[in-house]
Amino acid sequence: MTTSHAIPAGLVLALLALLVLAPMAGLFHLSALPGYQAADLRIWENAYLRRVVYFSLWQALLSTLFSVLPAILVARAFAMQPDLPLRRLLLGLFALPLVVPAVVVVMAVVSVYGSDGWLPLGRSLYGINGILLAHVFFNLPLAVRLLLPQWQAIPQHHWQLGEQLGMNGLQRFRFIEWPMLREALPGVLLLVFMLCLTSFAVVLTLGGGPRSTTIEVAIYQSLRFDFDPAKAVVLALLQLGLCMLVAMLTLKLQRMPEVEIAISTPHRNRTNLFRWFNLGIILLATLYVGMPLLSLLIDALRGPIGETLGDLRLWQALINTLLIGLSAALLSVTAGWFLLQYSASLAREGRSKAAKLVDLAGSIVYVVPPLVIATGLFVLLSPHVDVFDWVYPIVIAINALMGLPFVIRCLGPAIRQNQARYHRLCLGLALQGWNRFRHVEWPLLRRPLGLAIALVAVLAMGDLGVIALFGSTQSSTLALMIYHQLGAYLVAKATVTAVLLLLLCLGVFVFVERFIGGKSDAGN
Amino acid sequence: MLEIEGLEFAYPSQPASSMRFDLTVDDGEVLSLIGPSGSGKSTLLSLIAGFLPAGAGNILVDGKPLHALAVAERPVSIVFQQHNLFPHLDLYTNVALGIDPSLRLAPAQVESVREALVRLGLEPLQGRKPGELSGGQRQRVALARVLVRRRKILLLDEAFAALGPALRAELIELVKALVREQEMTALLVSHQPGDALIASKRTAFICEGRVAALAPTAQLLTESEPPQLREYLGSQ
Amino acid sequence: MVTVLSRIGAVLVSLLFCANLQAATPNLVVYTYDSFTSDWGPGPKVKTAFEAKCSCTLELVGLSDGVAMLNRLKLEGTNSRADILLGIDTNLTAEARNSGLFANHGLSLQASALPNPWQDDLFLPYDFGYFAFVYNQEKLANPPTSLRQLVDNSEGPTLLIQDPRTSTPGLGLLLWMKKVFGEESDQAWAQLSPRVVTVSKGWSEAYGLFLKGEADMVLSYTTSPAYHLIAEQDSRFAAARFEEGHYQQIEVAGIVQTSQHKQLAREFLEFMISEDFQKIIPTTNWMYPAVAGEAVVPVEFDQLIDPRPALLLDETSVARHRKGWVDEWLEVMSR
Repeated sequence: MTTSHAIPAGLVLALLALLVLAPMAGLFHLSALPGYQAADLRIWENAYLRRVVYFSLWQALLSTLFSVLPAILVARAFAMQPDLPLRRLLLGLFALPLVVPAVVVVMAVVSVYGSDGWLPLGRSLYGINGILLAHVFFNLPLAVRLLLPQWQAIPQHHWQLGEQLGMNGLQRFRFIEWPMLREALPGVLLLVFMLCLTSFAVVLTLGGGPRSTTIEVAIYQSLRFDFDPAKAVVLALLQLGLCMLVAMLTLKLQRMPEVEIAISTPHRNRTNLFRWFNLGIILLATLYVGMPLLSLLIDALRGPIGETLGDLRLWQALINTLLIGLSAALLSVTAGWFLLQYSASLAREGRSKAAKLVDLAGSIVYVVPPLVIATGLFVLLSPHVDVFDWVYPIVIAINALMGLPFVIRCLGPAIRQNQARYHRLCLGLALQGWNRFRHVEWPLLRRPLGLAIALVAVLAMGDLGVIALFGSTQSSTLALMIYHQLGAYLVAKATVTAVLLLLLCLGVFVFVERFIGGKSDAGN
Repeated sequence: MLEIEGLEFAYPSQPASSMRFDLTVDDGEVLSLIGPSGSGKSTLLSLIAGFLPAGAGNILVDGKPLHALAVAERPVSIVFQQHNLFPHLDLYTNVALGIDPSLRLAPAQVESVREALVRLGLEPLQGRKPGELSGGQRQRVALARVLVRRRKILLLDEAFAALGPALRAELIELVKALVREQEMTALLVSHQPGDALIASKRTAFICEGRVAALAPTAQLLTESEPPQLREYLGSQ
Repeated sequence: MVTVLSRIGAVLVSLLFCANLQAATPNLVVYTYDSFTSDWGPGPKVKTAFEAKCSCTLELVGLSDGVAMLNRLKLEGTNSRADILLGIDTNLTAEARNSGLFANHGLSLQASALPNPWQDDLFLPYDFGYFAFVYNQEKLANPPTSLRQLVDNSEGPTLLIQDPRTSTPGLGLLLWMKKVFGEESDQAWAQLSPRVVTVSKGWSEAYGLFLKGEADMVLSYTTSPAYHLIAEQDSRFAAARFEEGHYQQIEVAGIVQTSQHKQLAREFLEFMISEDFQKIIPTTNWMYPAVAGEAVVPVEFDQLIDPRPALLLDETSVARHRKGWVDEWLEVMSR
């Protein structure tokens, strides 16, 4: 059975390699041509670059810890309160921060924590504080959404036994919850680490100054001002290498999943004390995520709503945004599906190391900066085709690539469990391919599939980095339009457009989750 | 002695499915519960254990009511069909948890855990994790835990359903011995009437949320009344 | 099989048809920067105005900024579709010249509004501006009157600036400081550093933060207050006039050597220095038009500060030293 999964997975891996390695090779090759800087690979001897690497790692590690550790508490709180009203809406809200273009996030964070804001921090905002504030804003909600399904995977009997054996809260966490968490946590840590490492505008603007330079900035600089493609490629590879190191560490921490298959219903926390604690945590988290979004909304309501919405071009951009987002999501989820099926079958056969490597291959491509991929692709393609005709397919492809790690996080555990549970049954019934998908995989994997599609769709819809690289003849997507408006002094208009983008993403998220994920009685 | 008097319950999402149980089990007895799926057997066990809140009615253990007691305070041990063990803890710890979840055991308690493991033939496997054991071995560990807990009531919720006939018989004999020694009262839910024959002098037939019939096992298994019983047995 | 072939045939025929149409109206491709082509920039009006005069289509392609534009052209080399590059500034002209990708435009600039005479065979300016620190008059009563004063006064206003590695105004400030302080610019930056609230990636972030009140002054253009005056009827914002003068940014356009439509490109450049184009610039690009003319500049521009003397470092200097200067700046600011 592995072989039948291996072929499409192999294709996906080959495509990934092509999409990532070929452009880098193309760029590197440029340095051998006249008119370009010759390759100088003595990166490590450069004190400035050393500092850049240390800082990149430092801020990424700190941001990851500050995002994921509280997320455990918040996810737990959500898991313990399955009857929470507005649960679906709150969780939908938690999907939004990733959508907001970085520039807008900076504005929103400043609105709340800046000198004129609701919780002014003053000058200390611009430094590691600001970076952490923004990164936690982005990543805590994501981590919560990725960790929450873990509680669903805990067998109900464990809760019951825990109750009977008289475990207190700490013991319940230690014996029942932590083992399940431990399977998902390394993956989430790695994903958040990658997001924080490659964060660009946030670090540069809220970081306070060049002290806060990251590797991404150095890559950006070498590809633009210096036009030193070899250095850009080497730095990109360095970034990739660093992430792989971190990934290896997290792989070591990952444990085997539960031995017996679980069918579970949510655990109702009946102790009043914990109930208030959990509600308090949910409230705090909602406020933290909600405040910047709320400030944006308030600013937008004061802005030229009629004028902005009356512009036909806005609606054209909206349609483009939707199309790009959904296409990228479908592409990403399809590619991820094949990879994960293969990885799950490897895991089922006990080849867990190979399985983790496949997962890693799909995730780690995120770390290669889109600028590098885009420029490299450009170098490779432009002698043969008119690149401008291919802008949308390339943008969709790169966004799909960027969405892969999310697909792997969302869908991976569910697919693994599905295979472990039903594979033998399907073999016995000769249930394969489309039929298997239709009867076994679709109904049971709908929810994580819905989450994955929704997540990648909103990510792609909010993307600015990729589409801005290729050149445009107009503001073809909402994110681009925001960027153009900001560049034309039209801050108020940009805010209105940004809120429209947010609402669109919220709508898409909730709709896709419900439509694909199906209704569920437990919420999440 | 376990007395269940007029114990009522209905699932909040299905108010029409109201259940009412009346039952008495003597000390040292293993009472088997058989019946079709969804009839309320597991629900009854959950009510006794305290996992579900009862409506009206009483559960009395040696005359003392249970309903005011929290789950952990009830003199109950339960063994499920699976997921009895915590997968990342070794056998010793899994059993020791039955005495004290903080795992701070007095030397005498440590000794009792050792003895339980020996009794159940698990001594050589002490350091292993559940993932390395067979299904039968895992259920033995669960029984070892029951042994050290020394609680009055033992509930077995299809605990042996996934095991082969020989193993099942062996473990049921073990349960009987345990129940006799510690003067426990046990309820055994099973889908195999054969289990009831080995385990119990008396068997109860649960149907539609009620104890529809209660009789000596051999007699019950050949009964033709009520019709649901006939239907249930006929399908076996 | 037959149906497939006939379908391919149909597609080919329609392509040819389109190609024929193309041959009828030539397509002039102009690479420019994003804010030019955006719906709120000069692009749409320029397109309408030019297409009314020529019998052609004007295709404006927006590439993030000047640097990206030039890099793209270099990457494309002889395969480029571009006929014209519009929007690099004098910091990039040396590099552009050395690339050999541009052709002589053969035009002369009459009635130049530039403070200094313009002589360049390859590039023609279309607008220019001056960098300045913009502030809110209601919040800052006594702005510094010189760059030196800004630097020396340790109790002075807080600042928002941009990163010279990623932003043109950022580079502009760097060069401005270099021009005024020369060898001592390191010290000047060290003195300035404590008052810099943050160094942002681009102009938008810095200006946005300024509007939110995060600092007293922001590095922008002398023409920024004009936007607030004209579009928002808001007279609170002003630029601080420095007695040493303000650093200049001159934006130019050039004809690409490999263009298939050199004559048409030349016509475009002529159009670019004519009133029809120039009058669009002030209220869409918010810069000064390169060509002097009565009807061109809006009245409100008179309220702006007089930024002269216009400071500018020559392009060869900039090209040679830029990287070193940026590294120096990095060193000082990272302490």
